[in-house]
Amino acid sequence: MLKKTMIALATAAVTLAVLPAQADTSGKKIALSNNYAGNSWRQAMLKSWEKVTSKAVADGVVAEAPAFTTAENQVTEQAAQIQNLILQGYDAIVINAASPDALNGAVKQACDAGIVVVSFDGIVTEPCAYRIAVDFKKMGAVQVDYLADKMADGGNLLEIRGLAGVFVDDEISAGIHQGVEKHPQFKIVGSVHGDWAQDVAQKAVAGILPSLPEVKAVVTQGGDGYGAAQAFKAAGRPTPLIIMGNRQDELAWWKEQKDANGYETMSVSIAPGVSTLAFWVAQMILDGQKVPQDLTVPFLQINQDTLEESLATTEAGGVANVEYSLEDAQAVVAGK
Amino acid sequence: MTAIAKSIFKQRWIWSYLGMIAVWLATVTFTGGKGGAEIITAALSFATFTVIVGIGQMFVITTGPGNVDLSIPATIALSGAVAMKLMGGDNSMLLIGIAASLACGLAVGLFNYMLIRILRIPPIIATLSSSFLVLSTAISYGRGLKVKPPQLLADFTTMQIMHVPVLAIFVVALAAFMAVVLNRTIYGRSVSAIGQNMRAAALAGINVERIRFRTYVMSAVLASICGFLLAGFSGGASLNMGEEYLLASIAVVVIGGTSVAGGQGNVAGIWGAAIFMFLLVTMLNTFGTSAGIRLIMTGLIIVAIITIAGGDKPQR
Repeated sequence: MLKKTMIALATAAVTLAVLPAQADTSGKKIALSNNYAGNSWRQAMLKSWEKVTSKAVADGVVAEAPAFTTAENQVTEQAAQIQNLILQGYDAIVINAASPDALNGAVKQACDAGIVVVSFDGIVTEPCAYRIAVDFKKMGAVQVDYLADKMADGGNLLEIRGLAGVFVDDEISAGIHQGVEKHPQFKIVGSVHGDWAQDVAQKAVAGILPSLPEVKAVVTQGGDGYGAAQAFKAAGRPTPLIIMGNRQDELAWWKEQKDANGYETMSVSIAPGVSTLAFWVAQMILDGQKVPQDLTVPFLQINQDTLEESLATTEAGGVANVEYSLEDAQAVVAGK
Repeated sequence: MTAIAKSIFKQRWIWSYLGMIAVWLATVTFTGGKGGAEIITAALSFATFTVIVGIGQMFVITTGPGNVDLSIPATIALSGAVAMKLMGGDNSMLLIGIAASLACGLAVGLFNYMLIRILRIPPIIATLSSSFLVLSTAISYGRGLKVKPPQLLADFTTMQIMHVPVLAIFVVALAAFMAVVLNRTIYGRSVSAIGQNMRAAALAGINVERIRFRTYVMSAVLASICGFLLAGFSGGASLNMGEEYLLASIAVVVIGGTSVAGGQGNVAGIWGAAIFMFLLVTMLNTFGTSAGIRLIMTGLIIVAIITIAGGDKPQR
């Protein structure tokens, strides 16, 4: 069901032209404050932003929508950046935040200055800001649900976590552990931090693997599946079922395995284009529409039968992506 | 016999090896002897990359207080991205890829030294700011592109003979060669002399700037080689693949018995320290400790090793 919605969304994003300019927001300026750009997901996120907003600017929907990225992924730096954006007179600031609470001071200042603040992916807890959150717990839980469907007998799991101390990592991991509680035939025999980077994951998995019993499946957080596969191969172990995270290298590897030996798995992550959803939500708020403070964005799941299609539309080095249109944003706001 | 033992324990690098053995024993005891050999194989493969950049960093640090190369991660990312994109997975482009990778290292090294020498920026600031420029170049060039390495390179970097990674053998040879360079050549002795007292070294007729120039270029070139091999080893270059080598390159130098204050380098200890660092994470992962405890333990154990190894003895 979700899959179909996402395909529909994707098609909508590609085929539907942006609605004609709404006079109300044509003079408004929306800025993106981004804390990090050093991986493929963030690169795709920025690219989607640029693509959708430049069209919106050309169509006269908004006056301008530049993206700003901090160099060091530091809270202080991003707080200063937000303060600059306030001074520069933006009407709305869309934030992917370095910290859920440490930016609250700067965000409050922005709200007090009458600026609309929309946070997404890395959300902020300041009540005056809008949040477009992903149900990360569910993202973890669906992995184990999928495994329970595939392997009735259960077995040993290896968990690859993300960056220690980050909210997203705790949430996905909590979801995975909930899933394991629900399906007690599975047991997590090892847990390593792969920092969402395949080389870090490869190193961590290679280290723990010799001490582990047979691993039936690897539950992941995205960006780490290919590294895990490399580590299993290097250790001369049979490749377990590795849940993927929508990265092109992961999908390409999956396709290779699928063609070679019918390998089956699934892939789940958030589409980097969620930045464009945040853009439209900000635009809607500026337009005077009623938007709930907390929104949830569906995640993008790729299955055995949609693999080829997703791989074909994902550029080398990128992440399977969906760009949102104003209509999509309206649908999300309406809670559909 | 005891005299030999005594002289061995006087060597500060020995402690990194003792730490390495202790951590390995603890891990294997925990697993009940399971996987001991495989863990060593894994440790050797991954330590190799840390050693390559560690050697460059060691020479830089040995040239004296304030000298450190913080542009290593960015150089790794740039070199890997440029080489993989140029080669496009084609075996016949291998030499061009190597050349491009080395050229990246050379360029970064020259640029670093130019900032330090001509603009008189302290090395920490100079290499940190150049790393921003280099990483930005890598981002705009590669756009996070993950191109598969040529099959030959992938095979070479993951090849094992009797469970010993071939790359590790090469890097052991490189380390041995660099040890000779450090201890037995005019260049190496000059590096130590500058680190002990730059003014005295200059008065003794050492061309201080030329030595520093070579050292920074060498560090960047080693980082670019590491980036090239790492991209081959892990199935393609990624923008953040160098990130963990910033602290790792400095940590292995210090744990390996090189004086942070400069003037006293050590190559052998880098290998012990690199394997030690890998095994430490493996051990804590195997014990199943949480990330918080793991980081605390890592910090404490590193401090312990450095303290036991005697820290910095006064030189004057």
